[in-house]
Amino acid sequence: MKALNALRRRLNREQHRPLLPEVFKEGGLARRMLPEELRRAADSVRVNDQGHGIDTFGLSSGGAARGLAVTYLLYEHYFRVESHHAERIPAKGRAILACNHSGMLPLDAMMVSHDVMRHSTGHRAARIAMDYFVPGLPFVNLVFSRAGGVTGSRGNFHALLESDELIAVFPEGVPGIGKPFSERYKLQTWREGHAELAIRHGAPIVPMCVIGAEEQWPQVARIEGISVFGIPYMPIPATLLPMPVKYHIWYGEPVPIPDLYPREAAHDAVAVLEAAALVKAEVAKLIARGLEHRKGIFR
Amino acid sequence: MSAILVTGATQPLGRRLIERLLERGEDVLAAGAEAEGGFPAAVRYVQVDLTHARQIRRLLFGPGQDMGVCCVVNLAHHRRPGQARARKLHVEATRLMLRLADAHDTIERFVHRSTAEVYATRSDRPDLLREDHALNLSPGAPAWIRHRVEADLVACTQMGMSSLSVAVLRCAEILAPEMGSQLYDYLGSRICLRPLGFDPIMNVLSLEDAARAFELAVLSDESGVFNVPGADTLTLCRAIRAWGRDTVGVPGPLMGPLYRARRITRRTEFRYDLNRWRFHFNGVLDGARAGAMLGYTPEHPIAWPGQG
Repeated sequence: MKALNALRRRLNREQHRPLLPEVFKEGGLARRMLPEELRRAADSVRVNDQGHGIDTFGLSSGGAARGLAVTYLLYEHYFRVESHHAERIPAKGRAILACNHSGMLPLDAMMVSHDVMRHSTGHRAARIAMDYFVPGLPFVNLVFSRAGGVTGSRGNFHALLESDELIAVFPEGVPGIGKPFSERYKLQTWREGHAELAIRHGAPIVPMCVIGAEEQWPQVARIEGISVFGIPYMPIPATLLPMPVKYHIWYGEPVPIPDLYPREAAHDAVAVLEAAALVKAEVAKLIARGLEHRKGIFR
Repeated sequence: MSAILVTGATQPLGRRLIERLLERGEDVLAAGAEAEGGFPAAVRYVQVDLTHARQIRRLLFGPGQDMGVCCVVNLAHHRRPGQARARKLHVEATRLMLRLADAHDTIERFVHRSTAEVYATRSDRPDLLREDHALNLSPGAPAWIRHRVEADLVACTQMGMSSLSVAVLRCAEILAPEMGSQLYDYLGSRICLRPLGFDPIMNVLSLEDAARAFELAVLSDESGVFNVPGADTLTLCRAIRAWGRDTVGVPGPLMGPLYRARRITRRTEFRYDLNRWRFHFNGVLDGARAGAMLGYTPEHPIAWPGQG
C-alpha cells in the first residue's frame, strides 16, 4: 500500500513526472502524430504564459499541437485544403481576420485555425471567435480553447487586441453557419463589431474566405425551438457526414483600418458601419475570385 | 498620532497585514472575534462582535477615537457557508462601519475586502474579469454569494457620497487555510471530482500577495474598485495535480449530489452550488487597474505541494 501511495504521489507531480514518458504529457501524443513541420509550428506558437504554460484564455503549446493533430486528417486528406496568400497575415502585431461562415458545424473555423497556424509567418495562433454556446459544450470547449478559440465577447477581444494577438471572426455568426444550400456564398447579415474593435484598437482587418464549406453539408430542414447545449436549433442534414468537398482558403490584402479611421471614430456608428461594409465587400470579392478559380466542388 | 484599524485581525490575512504594517512602523488597532489576539505589545487588540451595532460604535468611538484611527481595513469575512450571521457580518456591519466612519473625526479612508465571487461567470461573459464586469445579481445565487455582492455594493455606494476615500479590493481566491476558501477545502480530498469535459482557467492568490495588496491600498489615497489577482493562472486540472491530488471527471449533474453527500459524511465545507459556474467557465481577474493605481502586481506564487 505504501509503495502504491508513493507511486501515486510521483504520478501527481506533473511538472517533474519522470515516470511518464513525453507522450503522456499535455499534447505529447498529438506531437507524436504530427509531421515534423507541424510539430515545429505548434512549438513556435506564441503563448502569453501565465506561469503554468497556459494563457488567460486557455491557449497552450500542447493544446495547439492537439488542435493541429485533431484537424490534421480533415485538413490534409478529407477537405484537402489549399491555402492562398497566407503571407498576407501580419507576422506580428494586432490584426483581425474576417471570414465567411457556413457548413452546419464549424469545420470551416477549424480549418482556418489549422491553416493560419500552419502557413502564417511565425506560425501565429488565430484566436477564433466562438459562439456563446461553445464553452458550454463538454470536451468541444477544451479542443477549441486550448487551440486558441475564445468566446466572442467584447471584453475578450479588447484584452486580446491589447496583447497584440491575431483574432479571427465570422461576422455572419450563427445565421451564416446555418444558411440553407440555396443561400451558399451569399453573405448573411454582416455584424459590425469587428470593425468597431479594429478602429478602437488600431488593428488592420484581413478579409478572407473559405470556398468549399458552403457546399459540404446541405441542410434539408431545421427544427426550431429545440436547444441542446445552447445550440439555437436542430439542423436536419441531407447526408450523414459532411461531403469531402475541396476547401480553398483565400486571404486578401489587409484593409488598413488605422490609416482610414482615427481611433475616436470607434464611437461613430456611421464610420463603423462603413468600415464593416468595406470589409464585407472585400470578402465578397474574394469569394467571387475563389469560386472562379476552383475547378469544381470536389477539385 | 494616527493608526490603522484592521477588522478580522485574527484571520490569517489580518495577521499578515498587521505584521507588514508594523514593519512599516504604523500604529495598529486590531479587532477580532477571538478573546485573545496573540499580537505583539505594539498592537492594541480589541475583541469585537461585528454583528452587534453597539460594539462597532464602541470600537470606532472608543479605542478608535483614542488612537486617532485614520484608516479602516475591513477584512472581517464569514468563513463558513450557511450560517445565519453571514448577512449581519458582511452587509450590515459594513454599512454601519461606513456610516460611522463618515461621521468620525479622524477616519479618512476605508478599505473593504471583497472577492472575485461577486462577478457573474457565464459563457457569454469575458474570461478576463475587469472591474466593470457584471456582478452576480442572480436571484438564484446562493446566499453566500449574494451577501458578498451586497456588501461590495454597500461599499461602492459610499464612493462619492461621503467624505471618505473608499477602496474596494476584489481579491482572487486566497488559497490558504482558515480563509474561507472553497477551493482549499475542495483540494482537501484525495480525489477531486470535476465536471466531465470541462477544465476552466482560474486564478488564485497567495496570502502574501493579498496582504501586500491591502498594505498598498492603505498607503494609497486612490478610491475605487480594484481587482487583486494572484500570480497563478492555471486550469482546474492543473491546480488539482499541483496540489498533489487525483482528479476524476464525472457528469456535471452528478457533481452536486456527490459533493452534498461528501459534505454530510465528511463534514467538509465545499459546496458545489457555490462553485458550479467557475468549474465550467473561465474567470481570471484583470489586475491592470490595481497595477496602475496602487502599484500592485502579484509576486508570490502559491507553494504548490504537489510540485515537489
